[in-house]
Parts: sequence; structure tokens; C-alpha cells
Amino acid sequence: MKNVIISDATLRDGSHAIAHQLTKENIAEYAKAADKAGIPIVEVGHGNGLGASSVQVGLSLLSDVEMLETARENLTRSKLGIHVIPGFATVRKDLEVAFKLGVDVVRVASHCTEADVTERHISATREHGKEAYGVLMMSHMASKEVLLDEGLKMQSYGAEALIIMDSAGAYLPDDVEDRISHLVANLNIPVGFHAHNNLGMGIANSLTALKAGAQLLDGAARGFGAGAGNAQLEVLVAVLEKMGYHTGIELYPLLDAADLVEKKIMKVVPSISSSSLVSGLAGVFSAFSKHVAAAAKEYGVDPRDIFFELGRRRVVGGQEDKIVEVAMELRDGKVRGAHAE
Amino acid sequence: MEKVKVAILGSGNIGTDLLIKILRSEYLECSLFIGRNLSSRGMSKAVSLGVKVSDQGIDAIVKDPKCCEIVFDCTSAMSHEKHAPIFKELGIVAIDLTPAKLGPFCIPAINLEDTIGEMNVNMITCGGQASIPLAWVIGQTQKNVEYVEVVSTISSKSAGPATRLNLDEYIETTEKGVQMYSGCPKTKAILNLNPAEPCIDMQTTVYAKVPKPDMKALHKGVEEMIAKIRRYVPSYDLVVPPTYENDRIIMTIRVRGLGDFLPTYAGNLDIINCAAIAVAEEFAKSLAAQRG
Amino acid sequence: MQNKIAMLRSDCAEVLASQVERLAPLKNQLVYVTGGTGFVGTWLAEMVSYLNDDHGFGTRLILAARDLDAFRAKAPHLAARADLELVSQDVRYLRELPEGVNYLVHAAATPDNRQHASDPIGSMETITRGTANLLDAAMKLPDLKKILNLSSGQIYGRQRIDEARIPETRPGTLSCDSIMSVYPEAKRYAETLCCAYWSLYKIPVVTARPFAFMGPYQGLDKPWAINNFFRDALKDATIRIIGNGLPERSYLYPSDMAAWLLAILVDGTPGHAYNVGSPTGVTLGDLAEKIKRYAQSSSIIEIRRMNDDRSRFIPDDTQCRKTLGLQVTVGIDEALQRSVRWLKTIA
Repeated sequence: MKNVIISDATLRDGSHAIAHQLTKENIAEYAKAADKAGIPIVEVGHGNGLGASSVQVGLSLLSDVEMLETARENLTRSKLGIHVIPGFATVRKDLEVAFKLGVDVVRVASHCTEADVTERHISATREHGKEAYGVLMMSHMASKEVLLDEGLKMQSYGAEALIIMDSAGAYLPDDVEDRISHLVANLNIPVGFHAHNNLGMGIANSLTALKAGAQLLDGAARGFGAGAGNAQLEVLVAVLEKMGYHTGIELYPLLDAADLVEKKIMKVVPSISSSSLVSGLAGVFSAFSKHVAAAAKEYGVDPRDIFFELGRRRVVGGQEDKIVEVAMELRDGKVRGAHAE
Repeated sequence: MEKVKVAILGSGNIGTDLLIKILRSEYLECSLFIGRNLSSRGMSKAVSLGVKVSDQGIDAIVKDPKCCEIVFDCTSAMSHEKHAPIFKELGIVAIDLTPAKLGPFCIPAINLEDTIGEMNVNMITCGGQASIPLAWVIGQTQKNVEYVEVVSTISSKSAGPATRLNLDEYIETTEKGVQMYSGCPKTKAILNLNPAEPCIDMQTTVYAKVPKPDMKALHKGVEEMIAKIRRYVPSYDLVVPPTYENDRIIMTIRVRGLGDFLPTYAGNLDIINCAAIAVAEEFAKSLAAQRG
Repeated sequence: MQNKIAMLRSDCAEVLASQVERLAPLKNQLVYVTGGTGFVGTWLAEMVSYLNDDHGFGTRLILAARDLDAFRAKAPHLAARADLELVSQDVRYLRELPEGVNYLVHAAATPDNRQHASDPIGSMETITRGTANLLDAAMKLPDLKKILNLSSGQIYGRQRIDEARIPETRPGTLSCDSIMSVYPEAKRYAETLCCAYWSLYKIPVVTARPFAFMGPYQGLDKPWAINNFFRDALKDATIRIIGNGLPERSYLYPSDMAAWLLAILVDGTPGHAYNVGSPTGVTLGDLAEKIKRYAQSSSIIEIRRMNDDRSRFIPDDTQCRKTLGLQVTVGIDEALQRSVRWLKTIA
């Protein structure tokens, strides 16, 4: 039986879905439930990771320290994971604090073409004896050759796995197969996949990644994540077990954890809203969705036009300020909604 | 008026771009362009412009301390730490474009006059040169500023290996600069790299949390500030004017480079060069005044 | 500190016991080392210090490098010596060498693969331009006897599965179109450039191809398997092996490395290349076990089996053994025990 390592993004990617307003109770309860289910890695934090609480991408209710402390207290079996993007978080200010609080897995992320900004964060993680993963975000914006080159850099820095994120939920299964198989064939470290469900492909793409040789998969309970959400964790695990893969996760406690999220944490169950679907088509960072909705309302423009225009400008994660600029230009008629007519 | 002699230490992209800008200055004359390798692109450009060059590094100045009154250090923070005591001993004013942070910070549009008389002036960071003036205006025009945040996005091509490796220093230095000039203790700096082709121009957004914003005063202050900056950075443009929305102040500027040696998309590098020259010209003017 | 110096000194005495006579040509000579403050340069300095102090060699050493402060911090006892001079220099801009130089060791270029990935152009330049500068400058030296060019075992690319050890005659299997080839391809170029200078001008240049080493002065910061094993073992943390623990590597203790390099410098045939590394392979799984044992660590070794890598990277040392009479004096177990002792001393 083949093993798959599941990393649970509920308490991290899910933060996007509630504008980073996770409470201590949310974290404590879910962490306990995930731990009981035996989920290998539980990610916790602001949606954009450590040190990312900001007006640009959203201020979080709790500080990084509060979130990590709470999670740490409630995890015994599961490893505590964090997401960290150089450019937001620094080693001295943020990472070293997280090391002290007892994180186990540090997922160092960059836009898919910018892996060389991760050298210091990955090195620092390894020097502290923690597990370091490299993460390439918005991977649909790069060819498989570029992804491999960037992945090799992360491998050189000491990454122990490479996670490919479909941050915009823009992939079709063939795109996943093409990229993941190329990476698996040419890297020494295992490859993982992080799906978003904008085009309804969350589970399908995760399974395709697995067949192409991926050994790590991300999911979120009830799909609780940015935009249309992630691969729905409990479904993913159940399907994997049915297919004969081993995840080490127990079904009933997992379902209990998912029910808990639905009842206690999420305001609405993620669905593929019209604007999320457009976001996926336009290839825009899923975490933009709440900001786009706010700007569309503020400036009286169609959110779908904002998404398509952002896609056309090849905006990357972290460039949320572009949303207001585009919304204003649409309002002032400086640009026209691409699909308006 | 007789031009003041300046030397440029460091013949990379920044140093070479600085040279071309200095050749246009009414107040400055580049008497020595110093690198390590005569066959480099920067050095051959300088030679083609008829500028005296040396490949001796800092030794070129030690051997001929009279060659200049002002030096632009465009090497690295580590090198500048070694160079600074030498400049001081030789009585040469150092304008430091590295993140070494040895001397006081300077944003020409804000505290140009204060730096006259200093022997070592630090130009903070490129993002700082773009964002701090606006943060300063917020501090000047608003009461009870709770929080200031600056977000810069630059094209991937304009960020070489040193910039990438020193992202943490960039962030921490910029945050410190924003704190100092806005007077707000809570600040955050973020840097994004965008790989889009054709390359994007540098763009910087400044956010602030202010309980009762005085938008009229802010608009006026920002307009005045932009006019001041444009004197040394001609293409400093407001893209999103100061706006209060969703409980925050937001404004965005864009900087296009002049396209001298650096391409126009490297506005982030252009702005720090323009600011450094503004400082040197002010020194030159004050020297001229002293000498009658 | 005293303890540390005594350890280094006894390491030098041990490996040089049988070599002092053959190294006599170095007596009263001036040896110039580029990249001299790195791992190799520092060990050469330990060796020369010992030869001078205990055997009256009167050899003078110049260590040239970019960052001298780091050397002063890690080896103050060497930095303070009268027979050793530190010179600040970037080999990319080297033009002239001191006229009295008799032997040159070209050790500039970091083997840190993080740096190769982040600054590939600068990394290649240091090797290609640095080597060209060095050879040009060497042409003008009136009393030059030999140049030792440090290449890398990595120039072979992957080791063939059907071969137990890589001989020097093996042509490489590198692909030149990957970011991973930046360092080894530049090293191949540098070797060929040495060959060209030797052919055209009969510059006496000999090449060494270092493999992997473990022992004093080896920092644990680079993300290499053995470094992680030591670091985790000393902290009693879990030792993680991503694969199946079966890849085989070999590690030479640095006193042997330095002794071999000096022997090649003196007796190596110009135009030849010599592997420098241990011919005794050890699997990563066994290596982790050994390190755990010698560090008396309570670490758990976690073999994750997430890949099926069974590669091997072990040099054939026949040339050094047969033609230069060199041998491994510190075996893997002893090397690991001494490394533990060293790491605990400097901690």
C-alpha cells in the first residue's frame, strides 16, 4: 500500500475565507480534533502565512504568537506547520519566534518564478533542525521547465519536499499531470500538490497529481480555504483510502473535525461562486476574492471585470493593492470590462 | 560656479547609471569612476564617455584622496563598513547607497538640509525613497496615526542576487525608516517581485490607519510632496490618489526610471540614484556658498 | 581553544608522520593559496604550521580570500602566525601574484550549492575568470614550481550504477542545461583551461578532484545529509532521511585530505588529475546510525522511503594510492568520532 502524506491547510488557507478572523477557540478545537484524527501536518496561521497580517492582505484577529501557541498546546501527534513568504516575514522578526514556539514543518513559499528569495528562510529552518518544504505559489503562471528550475533551487537550499500550489484554482487535470510528472522525474525530493477548487477540480487534480508521482497532498476540512476553497480534506482522504492509499488518518474523527469546522468556524460552506469561477478562469490568486468583492462594492463595478483585468495584468499574490487601482480604472472607464459586451 | 568633484565607487548597474546622471549635473563632475574590472560593461561605458576610471577599488581613493570631495558608495553593506572609516579619515563626504546604515537617513524631499555637514549619509532603501515621503505626509497632516504600511512591487528582472538574498534587511530598514519619518511606531513593509513581461514599473502603495482622517490636508500635503520629489525624480506619479475606504487610507505611486543605464522598469533603482544626486548637489551648493 | 589546537596538531602529526620527507621540497618555499581561508586553505595552514614548528620547514604561506575576518575568528592561532600572511583579494579581479611564489594552490570557489543556485552567474565567474586570471598571473612568476588546481568530484556527474568507484579516466555524465550544473560545468571548464595553459605554455599545473570530507572546520550550515545528521544527533532531534537510506557516499577526514593535497602539489604529475576522497562507501542509513552512536544521542532515525535513490558517489583512489603512495589513515569510524569530539569542543 502506498503512503500519502496529508497536510491540513484548514487553519491557514481557511483564514482567507473568514478574513483572517480565527479565534483561539477555533484553533484549539480544530487542532485537537485534527490531532485526534491523526492528520500528519496541521498548518496554522494567517492565510498568507507568518508575518503577513497587514492591511494589504488582511489584518488578522490574533497575532502569530497567539495562533501558534494555541495550536501547539493542542497538538500531540500531528506536526505543527506554518506557511511563510519571504517579503512578508523575515527570519529574525518572525521565523525565529516560530521556532521557539515549537513549529515542526516550515513551508517556505514564493511566487512560482522567484524561488531564490527562499534561500535564507529554508536555510534557517534547516539549521534549527526543523523540516523545511519549498512551496511554489501561482504555479499555473510558469511552464514545467521553469517550475523544475525553481524547484531545483529550493532543493539546493535544503527543502525536503516541493509543494506545487494551484493558488488560482486554474489547472485542469492535464496541466497537473504535465507539471507534476516532470518534477517527480527530475527532483530528488518528494513533490506535493495544493489544489483550489475554482473550476471544480480540487479532488480530481489532487488524484491526478498523485498518479503523476506526488507524495504529499494538501486539503482543508469542508474545503475551507481561499476563494472556492481547497480540495475537501475528508473527501480526499476517504477517496484515497478507497483507492488503496494509506494516509494514517482515521475516518470518524476526521469527519468529526470537518463537522466541527462547518458548525463552529466557517460562516458559509465554500462553494464555487460566480466570481470564484471567474477568478479561476482568469488565473487570479484565490485569496483575492474577499478584497475584490469589497472593491467592487466600493467602486460600483462588476467583480468579474476586476478579476479578468487582474488576470490580464498578470498580478501575483501579495499585489492586493492592484485591486483598488483596477476597480478605480474600471469605474473611471480607463479600462473596459473584458467580457462586458 | 565650479563643479564639485565626485567619485563613484562601484561600477555595477547602479554606479554606472549614477555616472550618466551626474554627467548632466550642473553642480557635480565625476572625476573618477572606480570598479574592479576594466572589461566590465560599466567600466567600458565610462571609458566611452571619456570619464577617468580606475580598477583599484577603494585603493584608488586612498592613493589620491584629493580626487574628490564626495564619494558615492555603490558597493555592498559589508564593503561600505570597511570603506566608511577611510572616507572619514580622508575628509571625504560619503553618500552611501548600500544598506549599511552607518550615517543618518536622508530623503531629499524631507530632510535634505539636515544632512548638510554630515560626513556619511545613508539613502535607506529604494522602496523607502518611494514610500517614506508619503508616510511623512501622513504623519504631518494626520492626528493619532495608528499604523502605516508600505507595499512595493518591483519587476523580478530589477532584483539581482544581492537584492534577493537581502530581502530581510530591506524590509527591516524600510520599516525603521517609515517609523522614523511618520512618527508612527507601528509600521510594516512588504516587498513583492513580479515576473511579468514586459517588465512592470515599480509601484508602491502606502496604507494608514487613522481614526479621523483629514483628507483635505492629506491631499494638499501629498500634492506638494509629489511636486518636490518630481524635482529630482521626474516620473514619480500618483496612480491611486489618497482615498479613504474600508477604514483605511490608501494611495499608490508609480516610478518609471529615466532609462539611462538601467532600463526604465528599474524605477526602484533609479529613484535611489536620483535621491543620492540630490544630496550631493545640495552639498555642492553649500560648498560653493562657503567658498563665496 | 587549547584543546582544539591540540586536537588539530595531533591530527597533523599523525598523517604527516610518513610524509615529512616527501614534502621536503616545500622547505623555505612560498606557497600562495587562493580561496585560502576556506576549509581546504585552513587545513593546509594547519599542516604547514605543523611542518614549520616541528620539522623546521620554514615554509611561508599566503592565504588570499575575500573575507579575512571570518578566518581570524575561526582560527586566531593561525591568523597570528608570522609565517602566514592574509591577503584580501577577489580572484575574479586578480592580476598579479607576489614574485617569490613557488607553489600555487587554487582553491577559490565555494562548494555551497545554495550559493550556486542563487547566484549562478557570479559562481561561474569566480571559477572561470578566477582560474584564467590565476593562470595568466602565474605565467609571470620566475620561480614557480607547481600549481595545484582544485576541481571537484562533481565534474563526473552521476556515478554509473555498474561501477563501485569512479576512476579519473571516467568521462562525465553532466547535462550542461541545468541550474545544477553551474558549479561542476565551470569546474570542468577550469580543468580544460589548465590543460590548455599546460599544453601551450607548459605551465606545471596538476588537478585534484575533491569528493566529500568530514571533520574539524567543516561547518554544519550547508544542507548536506551528513551535516544534518550531526546537527540533529547532537540535539537529540529526529534524524530525517527522505529516501530509503541506501545511497552510498564516502567521507575523508580532512587531515588526510590536506596531506594528500600537499603530496599532489609536490609529486603530482602536471597535466594529471587525481581523485581526493575516501574509497570506502557508507550508506546514508549506516552513516546516521554511526553518528547517533558516536554522539551518544537519543535521536530517532526516521527513514521515510519517499524515493528509490540508490546512487553511489565514491572515488577510485588507485592513482593516489599506487602512484603517490597515499592512503587513508583515519577511517570512517574514527573520522566520525573525532568530528563529534570537535563539534562538542567548539559548541
